[in-house]
Amino acid sequence: MPPLNAPEEGVPAAGLASWQQDNSSTSYASYAPNMLSELPELGPLPETPTSSPPAPGPLLSPPASFMRTTRPRRFSNISISSVAATVGSETQSACVGSTRDLTGRSPVLLINYQELQYESEVDKSLECPICRTPFHAPITTKPCGHTFCSECLLRAHQLRPVCPIDRRPLDVERDFCKARVIHDQLDRLRVKCPSQGCGHVCARELLAVHYERYCEYTPVLCPDNSCDLWIARQDAAPDKGCLHKYTPCQYCSKQVMKAGLEEHYDRECSGNTVKCAQCDSSVVQHRMENHVANDCPSTVVLCKWNKYGCGKSAPRHDVQAHEKKPCIYQAIGRLAQDREDDRLIISELKVRLSAAEGRLRVAEQEKTERRERKRRQAGNTNNTMPPFVPDLNLSNSPRAAASYNNGTLDSPEDYMLAQFERMETQMEDLRKNIHELDGLHSMRLLNDTMRLNEQIAELGSKVGVIGMHTTWLMNVQRQSRGQQRAGGVVGSPLSSLASSSGGPGTTNSATGSVTNAARNAPDNEGGRYYNSSLPLRRNSDGRGENPPRL
Amino acid sequence: MALPKRIIKETERLLAEPVPGISAVPHEDNLRYFDVEIHGPSQSPYEGEVHFAVRYRWRGIFKLELFLPDDYPMTPPKIRFLTKIFHPNVDKLGRICLDVLKNNWSPALQIRTILLSIQALLGAPNPDDPLAPDVAKSWKENEQAAIATAREWTQKHAVPN
Repeated sequence: MPPLNAPEEGVPAAGLASWQQDNSSTSYASYAPNMLSELPELGPLPETPTSSPPAPGPLLSPPASFMRTTRPRRFSNISISSVAATVGSETQSACVGSTRDLTGRSPVLLINYQELQYESEVDKSLECPICRTPFHAPITTKPCGHTFCSECLLRAHQLRPVCPIDRRPLDVERDFCKARVIHDQLDRLRVKCPSQGCGHVCARELLAVHYERYCEYTPVLCPDNSCDLWIARQDAAPDKGCLHKYTPCQYCSKQVMKAGLEEHYDRECSGNTVKCAQCDSSVVQHRMENHVANDCPSTVVLCKWNKYGCGKSAPRHDVQAHEKKPCIYQAIGRLAQDREDDRLIISELKVRLSAAEGRLRVAEQEKTERRERKRRQAGNTNNTMPPFVPDLNLSNSPRAAASYNNGTLDSPEDYMLAQFERMETQMEDLRKNIHELDGLHSMRLLNDTMRLNEQIAELGSKVGVIGMHTTWLMNVQRQSRGQQRAGGVVGSPLSSLASSSGGPGTTNSATGSVTNAARNAPDNEGGRYYNSSLPLRRNSDGRGENPPRL
Repeated sequence: MALPKRIIKETERLLAEPVPGISAVPHEDNLRYFDVEIHGPSQSPYEGEVHFAVRYRWRGIFKLELFLPDDYPMTPPKIRFLTKIFHPNVDKLGRICLDVLKNNWSPALQIRTILLSIQALLGAPNPDDPLAPDVAKSWKENEQAAIATAREWTQKHAVPN
């Protein structure tokens, strides 16, 4: 086993040098120093311009803010017009096409959607798996259904024409389609304006318009044609000239761009601070006025409520303490302030009211004029006819009257015709309704009578059965009477049976008569009851089998 | 050039919810450069010495360096072992033969997934696709001996101080 010549731990440089053999274009040794200079705002950097002596003119690196604004110009070169053609997204036009602002003065720096700050945290499902930021102009792959930002997917596709997630082969023309559903969700996301200094927050779909047209902080191309740096729109007036020329700072004689002067004063200029004569703190010189007027705790100021009678004047920090609690004029002052606010509101309302009144008067005037004109017209067309006034019975329907009054119809004849037509249509409607109702009623009637008919038929059959029973009973009675006459037995068997059993009269008497009848007529069916030991069944039980054949 | 949001997010997540057995810490002065430590996977010659009471008497910890190129995530990160390791897919300079670091890279992959792949590679050496031919050869001829060597190397180089 040959001894391996591996680098020692913690000393990457030794190994890095040898690694360059096959990674000549991308070696760490060359990366690291590059990165140091390319990361001006991230991480503590040892070599900041404050410590280094000022280099003359263009050799000096511009301050961080300019680095930031110049960078995405490279980004703008990435053409995604091919997607715009295939996918046809609306939002892409916002980031690609409109590089001119409203006045056509100068191109606007494009929005880098990946760097946007969102107001609240965005759902993870709306993040592109490639750039890990909320989708911009999302595209979904048709065969596998994965979604990416169009820009991310196209860049990945240029390197390898497969889906970045499952490596399925993809074709730009055939397999990409716009992800419409999440489009709306993305449009609703609240986002901060990317311009430095602008705190505007809006829905994402409105951002492009705000940024390109209205935001005063949007970086636009410097008005000087020879300069290719970006500057906030509010500073880009042509009369101001190019603000990117280096001039020596008046305090520390360092070379500074005019556009970055404020930042330079506030952050890094060392010769710029002065001591405040009153409070002994060091203040940036050009902020001194502001400091004295608003901040300096030692400046003598009047009490806030001096308008309302408090005469206190003292250094600011004393006055502030005094204003808060003990000043007796505070209550009055507050009241007075409220009153002033109210007065302002009232005056504003008065102005609005008078304006509204004026408008109302004008409208009324126009209305009366129009009515006059119409009346005159009506008089001119037919002098014999009295001026038409919508009659009570005609103006019953407010709509029709309104349509006449609004002047949509020219003459009373037209109006009458219109009325007539309207009535006709109404009549037609009514006729239809009546027909429908008629049908409905007949149906209902039919249903009801059907039921009644059935009931009647049932009742009829019952009556028939009862009739049969009575005739049978009558027969039985007649027969028994004939017997009595023949046997000379006195007394009705029915009454004797009823008195002996004491039960329900009709049925028992019927069975009794059956037994009697059966004795005399053994071929009768009822005879079996008598002969067998079974208890006598009531007539109603054996309704189907018992009725005698008459 | 400012750091892309993706790198910031990935770094934040790596630090906030690290993968078990893997740590990746960015350099303060270059946020694209990471110091990585991977624990040898268990039941592999790189895991360290197992002890019955405490789980490991010592654990194999491998140091790597990771660099995110300018066009990351369109190009894969550059990764290299700093700790010497006896493995058929890692050469003597620490370079790693892993498909997702070369042709099979996809921009949807992340630092954490790549580091997990490397940890898996330690658990499953692939001598059929070697980067270190001599190691692969010994691995194929006598696997037991090769594993013993790997264990020995782990004890020699991958023991934490």
